[in-house]
Amino acid sequence: MEEPSAPVRLEEYRTSVRARSELTAWVGMVVFLASWAMLFASLFFAYALVRSHAPSWPPADQPVLPLALPALNTAALAISALAMERAMRSLRAGRARRAATALAAAAALGFVFLVLQGVVWLGLYRAGLEPSGGPYPSAFYTLTVFHALHVLVGLLALGWLAVRARGGAYGALRLLPVRLWAMYWHFVGAVWLAMFASLYLL
Amino acid sequence: MSSALRRAAAGLCVAATALAARADPLPERGYGLPHDASLDGHRIDWLIHFTIVGLGLVFLVVLGALAYAAIRHRGKHTAAYDHGNSRRAALLVLACVAVVFFVIDGNLFVHSIGDLDAHFWNFKAAEANPRMVRVEVNAHQWAWTFRYPGPDGIFNTDDDVVATNTLHVPVGVPVVLQLASTDVIHSLYLPNFRVKQDAVPGSITRLWFQAQEPGEFEFGCAQHCGANHYKMRGVLTVMAADAYERWAAASAADAKRGFDPEDKDARWGWEWRKF
Amino acid sequence: MALPATHAPSAETQPIHPAPTSFVKKYVFSLDHKVIGIQFLWAGLIFLLVGGTLAMMIRWQWAFPYHPVPVLGSIFLRGSGGVIGPALYQNIFTMHGLIMIFFAVTPVLIGAFGNFLIPLQIGARDMAFPILNMLSFWFFALSQLIILASFMVALGPGGAGWTSYPPLSTNIGMPGIGQTMVVLALFTTGVSSTMGAINYVTTVIRLRAPGMTYMRLPLTIWGLWLTAILNALFIPVLGSAALLLFLDRTFGTQFFIAGAASVRGGGDPILFQHLFWIFGHPEVYILILPAWGIVGDILSFFARKPAYWYRGSVYAMCIITVLSALVYGHHMFITGMSPMLGKSFMLLTLLISAPAMVLVFNWIFTIWRGSIRFATPMLFALGTVFVFGLGGLTGLFLGDISLDLYLHDTMFVVGHFHFTMAAASFLGAMAGIYFWFPKMFGRSLSERLGKAHFWFSIVGLTLVFGGQLLAGYAGQQRRLFDPYQYTFIQGLRGLNRWTSYFAFTLFAGQFLFVWNFFKTVFARGHTAPQNPWEVTTLEWTRTSSPPPFHNFDVIPQVQRGPHEFANPKVKELLGRDYLGQAEDMPEATAPAAGAARA
Repeated sequence: MEEPSAPVRLEEYRTSVRARSELTAWVGMVVFLASWAMLFASLFFAYALVRSHAPSWPPADQPVLPLALPALNTAALAISALAMERAMRSLRAGRARRAATALAAAAALGFVFLVLQGVVWLGLYRAGLEPSGGPYPSAFYTLTVFHALHVLVGLLALGWLAVRARGGAYGALRLLPVRLWAMYWHFVGAVWLAMFASLYLL
Repeated sequence: MSSALRRAAAGLCVAATALAARADPLPERGYGLPHDASLDGHRIDWLIHFTIVGLGLVFLVVLGALAYAAIRHRGKHTAAYDHGNSRRAALLVLACVAVVFFVIDGNLFVHSIGDLDAHFWNFKAAEANPRMVRVEVNAHQWAWTFRYPGPDGIFNTDDDVVATNTLHVPVGVPVVLQLASTDVIHSLYLPNFRVKQDAVPGSITRLWFQAQEPGEFEFGCAQHCGANHYKMRGVLTVMAADAYERWAAASAADAKRGFDPEDKDARWGWEWRKF
Repeated sequence: MALPATHAPSAETQPIHPAPTSFVKKYVFSLDHKVIGIQFLWAGLIFLLVGGTLAMMIRWQWAFPYHPVPVLGSIFLRGSGGVIGPALYQNIFTMHGLIMIFFAVTPVLIGAFGNFLIPLQIGARDMAFPILNMLSFWFFALSQLIILASFMVALGPGGAGWTSYPPLSTNIGMPGIGQTMVVLALFTTGVSSTMGAINYVTTVIRLRAPGMTYMRLPLTIWGLWLTAILNALFIPVLGSAALLLFLDRTFGTQFFIAGAASVRGGGDPILFQHLFWIFGHPEVYILILPAWGIVGDILSFFARKPAYWYRGSVYAMCIITVLSALVYGHHMFITGMSPMLGKSFMLLTLLISAPAMVLVFNWIFTIWRGSIRFATPMLFALGTVFVFGLGGLTGLFLGDISLDLYLHDTMFVVGHFHFTMAAASFLGAMAGIYFWFPKMFGRSLSERLGKAHFWFSIVGLTLVFGGQLLAGYAGQQRRLFDPYQYTFIQGLRGLNRWTSYFAFTLFAGQFLFVWNFFKTVFARGHTAPQNPWEVTTLEWTRTSSPPPFHNFDVIPQVQRGPHEFANPKVKELLGRDYLGQAEDMPEATAPAAGAARA
């Protein structure tokens, strides 16, 4: 199934019906991500407004958010994004097997992120931070859980892509699903960066 | 004794009985704006009427053009071949737009900003008046509670006068209200004074007006606040200055006698907010 | 060139797929944009009737409070002997607003016309993502189902107004599952709209037929496309507001709760209003832009004259689209907003009137020196101009802070937004339905019934919403269960009663349309020719009525803009006054003066 990246084939692909419909899919993905970015932007806006109204943040009787684990998580997602890029490059070079490994690594790092995120939640919950305990935990849990759901969707998709890539479903000229999911994954990563900066650092 | 004074005296009697007296403001006749009893309401009335006349003229001209075109060009002759893409065509449209925009919108903007800065939002001037009356308003489902600071001028003390759904103010003096809500969003609406202001839980908003004639006027809630939103009605009694002084003194004395230091819930007032 | 150029793709990029044969694939889970469009049309029209019925109950209440509602009361309000109580009243006006905006006007204007027209008018075989399109409809149907179900639960459906302002819409003001279901339905319909919007935006960018440049798109497509862009960007903001409200209601979070019920200071009720109106103001234009586009095209089509200053209209619509995202604060002038912010919002709001007036003047100059045919769609389009004029002009009062001190939350606001969002959108949608009905169903509606329907509608709408404006001018607040509690409103009893009588007449008049519609769809009406209105756009000139599954046997090569009427050269050579968008000029050498500039 592996396609050679001969220039002739490439030229053929570029003028094909499939190339055009793949570009259409790409445009659709861009519109979707723009739309979804507005959703996250609104959530950040809500967080900023609620926080600006609070007399102190965090309130004196509620735990301060940890920094070490979320920092580790940021690193995990960053490396995962690099692995995703690596997978794309391997596919473009016609190395499907290597791409499958990279995809699996990206998915695994996503899994690590979720586990660490679970640890953070559990620790805070045990320390008495309940979602109904005021605006501070409301904002924290809503933003992080909503983002984690996106990570979950992403890592399931990446796992599935890895399995399919191992079976040789993708090649240099057949990488649309990988390309679109890569866009999604980078989007989720970018949202996390904003979240890490605004929730934990600021 | 002038009729205004008589009405004020009647208002005083009603208030002094301290019953939830059924006061009856006169119903409005006709379909126009409610009677204007305020210092600045006429500014709003003027702007509304100017805009109605201006826009009415624009609308009639446009409608006339539309009707004329529809009758004159009803398929009796061939249509002109004109895409209206020339610079002249564009300028024609833009010129029509510019005239309407600068006359109507420009007038609205300039007057509105001017009125707000000099009058409706000019709390500095209102509070600079030494006779100014301050009232704190607590809205809740489904009533308005008002708190006067009493003779000591400080809120949340034993001489605070508290009233529900009735508000007494003197004539010719700025009345500054600070509003809060305990449950949902309400909006204090004084149709005869052309003002309204939301009362939002968790924050304090403000409003000021000045009554120009004694009498009884209605106020109500303008923001849907639940099933009994329609019942959040109250009566504003505007009194002559001396009648108001007597009412305030008597009410404060009553309040002091009836003060219960144990009842902490009754002291919902706040320190007068400086904005 | 790494990727294919973004100009319109050539014909062979859209292969013909075989039409489905099974009933389920053809009519239920159809991937065909035309069928999905008609599904949206049905769903929207049915809910228009539901929303209209609720409106009649409100009007009854204002005319005869505490009296049993005739007919409807004995069907729906048996428990109370037909009388509307204050709690039920708030459910009724809340659901009237929500249903009309999200479940009636939106599906008809955007779901039905967007789906049906976009591929046909740009010369495509289908939407860019047919499966997403199907999902969009079924998510929408699900949200309608949730809305209907919310009427059945204890404590009734939502009651916090269509805007659902917290804390009233949280458990403090609206306990019970009904309000939660309403919030869920809003979220679901938001997902549906977003899916549709992604599809529309992408389709217009990618699937235009060769030669169909942006400046040759029919104005209808411009309206729908700009609407889709607004939908894609701002429906998610509503989604976030609905999500947070849902969490506040079910998980006890504290985003919007403040005051006595708050924990640790609580959140900010005004936050919801920000989110809601960041979406809500574009939503106003989401509902009116398609109508503007339809009106712009129909006025030209029936005046038999090119649309005046096409580019001006397009630019005006684009400017309004951008501005619509920047003016939302005028809904919140009296919440205690900072004066500086308020004044900026006021300036931006007043600015919108300039491009809106460009549109109106362009419409007038379009029919000026035309040769008008007063068919039903044309009447509805002219009616739209009339009511939009009233709605737009009354909006100037409300965009102004000092007048808002008096007029905000009065019936004046109700009259204003009904003129724009109800009357103009409704008449615009009706213009579209009468116009495209032959293409959708292959039969023509009765012109006589259509004209009667028009006169009932235009007179009724003007009197009903005009009555609301008058009541608001006299100071009557909106949403009062019994307005006559207030002495100063008691003098308006007669006005409100007459307004109600007009409303009942308006409602009854709509059955002319229902009768016309059903008679033509189900009893065999006149079979429509391919191009009954003798117009220029691709769906009329290049495909049959109704079009086949694949729309066009050959993807057309577009030559010119959509309004080539009254060209003397065409008249001389072809003996008719219009030339299709993809039609060759009779003489290849003849310079198409208008088309070159269009």
